[in-house]
Amino acid sequence: MAAVVKSERTAARSAPLSETTVLGWLRKNLFSSWINALLTIVSIYIIYAAVKGFYVWGVADAVWVAKDRRECFDISIDGACWAGVIQWMNNFIYGRYPRGELWRVNLGALMLVLWMAPLWVPRVKDKILIGMSTVFLYPFLAGYFFAGGEKGIFMQVMVTLGIVFLVGNTLNVIIGVSSGRGLREVMIQKLGKQDASDESQRNTILAIFVGALVVVFVLQMWWTFEAVSWTKWGGMFLTLVISGIGIAAALPLGIFLALGRRSKLPVIRVLCTAFIEIFRSVPLITVLFMATTMFPLFMPEGVPLNKLTQVIIAVCLFSGCYMAETVRAGLQAIPNGQYEAAHTIGLGYWGTMGLIVMPQALKHMIPNIVGSFIGLLKDTTLVSIIGLFDVLGMLRSVSQDIPWRGLHKEPLLFGAMLFFIVCFAMSKYSRHLEVKLSAGDNR
Amino acid sequence: MTSVDEQETQTQLASAASSEVIIEFDKVNKWYGDFHVLKDIDLVVHKGERIVVCGPSGSGKSTLIRCVNRLEEHQQGTIVVDNMTLDKNLKNIDHIRSEVGMVFQSFNLFPHLTIIENLTLGPIWVRKIPKVEAREAAMKYLARVKIPEQANKYPGQLSGGQQQRVAIARSLCMNPKIMLFDEPTSALDPEMIKEVLDVMVELADTGMTMIVVSHEMGFAKTVADRVMFMDEGEIVEQNEPHEFFNHPQHDRTKLFLSQILHQ
Ligand SMILES: Nc1ncnc2c1ncn2[C@@H]1O[C@H](COP(=O)(O)OP(=O)(O)OP(=O)(O)O)[C@@H](O)[C@H]1O
Ligand SMILES: [Mg+2]
Repeated sequence: MAAVVKSERTAARSAPLSETTVLGWLRKNLFSSWINALLTIVSIYIIYAAVKGFYVWGVADAVWVAKDRRECFDISIDGACWAGVIQWMNNFIYGRYPRGELWRVNLGALMLVLWMAPLWVPRVKDKILIGMSTVFLYPFLAGYFFAGGEKGIFMQVMVTLGIVFLVGNTLNVIIGVSSGRGLREVMIQKLGKQDASDESQRNTILAIFVGALVVVFVLQMWWTFEAVSWTKWGGMFLTLVISGIGIAAALPLGIFLALGRRSKLPVIRVLCTAFIEIFRSVPLITVLFMATTMFPLFMPEGVPLNKLTQVIIAVCLFSGCYMAETVRAGLQAIPNGQYEAAHTIGLGYWGTMGLIVMPQALKHMIPNIVGSFIGLLKDTTLVSIIGLFDVLGMLRSVSQDIPWRGLHKEPLLFGAMLFFIVCFAMSKYSRHLEVKLSAGDNR
Repeated sequence: MTSVDEQETQTQLASAASSEVIIEFDKVNKWYGDFHVLKDIDLVVHKGERIVVCGPSGSGKSTLIRCVNRLEEHQQGTIVVDNMTLDKNLKNIDHIRSEVGMVFQSFNLFPHLTIIENLTLGPIWVRKIPKVEAREAAMKYLARVKIPEQANKYPGQLSGGQQQRVAIARSLCMNPKIMLFDEPTSALDPEMIKEVLDVMVELADTGMTMIVVSHEMGFAKTVADRVMFMDEGEIVEQNEPHEFFNHPQHDRTKLFLSQILHQ
């Protein structure tokens, strides 16, 4: 058979119009058949009607400044009364936290940003350490800022550690980003010790660290914040405290429960499985009611456990159990060969889990983890049912305020938008992370 | 304790090079549920010996070598590796695993770590060697498997043959006394098989004790001291390679050889 050879090259041509122009795109996607065209037109009309109604009520005819609901009505009878929402804004955010002390809450939030921001800076090392300290140190430091009052010795130590870590970490990051070196290196150099032996360098650093601890410890003994009872906490602040602690506790708790559920030891396995299944088969609201009624029964006499603590414990256990199932699913995605390879280079159980399996599994789990965080943030609003004034509680109490009596719609709508923005941003971010991580995977 | 030490010194005194026994199977039996995978296996491997194991699929070759580092547990008989009996004693198992390297058909590199991190993980975390030294040693082994330039890539960015060579280097970084290979080339494209086999031949030249499950008969002929044929959980026949291939004794061996040679 004679060879068939193509004699001419085919020049590249531009794509057909339907692929490139707006009109072409519309034609192809929205009006490709008469039924598609009809659907398009009907949908456009529905969207138009809804948006227009909302626009007229919520923007065009709305009242932004007024001193009470009556004045709103006087200005515009069928527009939204955003004035009430605006006036209550501080209540939505802080609840009944004393107005003179709000800076403590703000500072606490700022510290969290400072603490966690380095996690997103590419050149920063030791991200695991930063992450761990966010879970194990920050809550105590922030907790003291929020609650105030006399510090017990434990709290003094945690506050000291927290401050030293925060300052050290922030300096480290600033130096790292500006000069590409670590805080440690710079200190060694400033002290002229760069030629000293490793051991003497290490001792110097240790001495500086201990010195800083002592100084901060002495300083912090001099100040105490005015105590703010938890009953004054509220609004978005309270929602974030509860769900934040729930989220921070969920991951470590979930990992241990999931490992326990896969354990070879029957007692541990059965206990973990029962624990997980019980919490997962009960709605959060039930867990919350149980917590507030049952914990006091279990607690020894004289251990006061306020409602907020009970709620936080309940939320932690609940979210931990959900996280355990997420972690378990992630673990199942890791092929057996990874365990075997880890064993053959001599790693034991914890080494295999911590160095090989968990880092890979966590990567798979990120979308689900963020998903359950979003769920938890929303579920936390249930605490308003058992009498805590979280953001939902505050949104609903607007209508009981005398000047704004009966104002339901606007605050709730505002709350819905607030949650939508936060949750939507989180889910978008998790999507972005997922894409980024799987690009690095190259498998 | 002393008796073990005595034994050790005795064998060392008695042994010139290859008469020292490093692996011994004595009447080893294993079942998966009701299925009898290993039947009365007796096997003695001397230090520096290179054994190639072949046999039809499902005959228990993988199971046999996975018993050596206790990735699989046997139920009857005794296995002694490097003068340690494999039993429930976890200390022994950890020790033996750090002395026995293993290379898998599917490479099993750690995909979230770079090549150099794959290599230094064991030395740093198990052997507690300082990072710098571990890196130096790892680079040496990477050079030995001829891919030093890939050190900072991730496994997913390498070809199959390169990944398998990394896997070999990863095992070597632990300074093992014994290397086990479970069909190291059967997941590879033909053009990559040679590069892996070359590395294995070089490794054999260093005097490493090796047990290789493989159907690469060319490799068996040039490298093996002994070829073993397994079928249905038994070691049916073993011999030095020339005799094994040219004068197989058992009918099952003859049948098997004729099948793989006529592929
Ligand atoms: N975990 C297990 N549970 C139950 N049966 C198993 C298990 N692993 C292996 N087997 C069975 O044991 C037998 C021997 O398996 P093994 O993997 O040792 O064979 P092999 O000789 O390595 O075969 P191949 O050439 O296909 O790798 C096979 O029949 C297999 O189905
Ligand atoms: Mg096999």
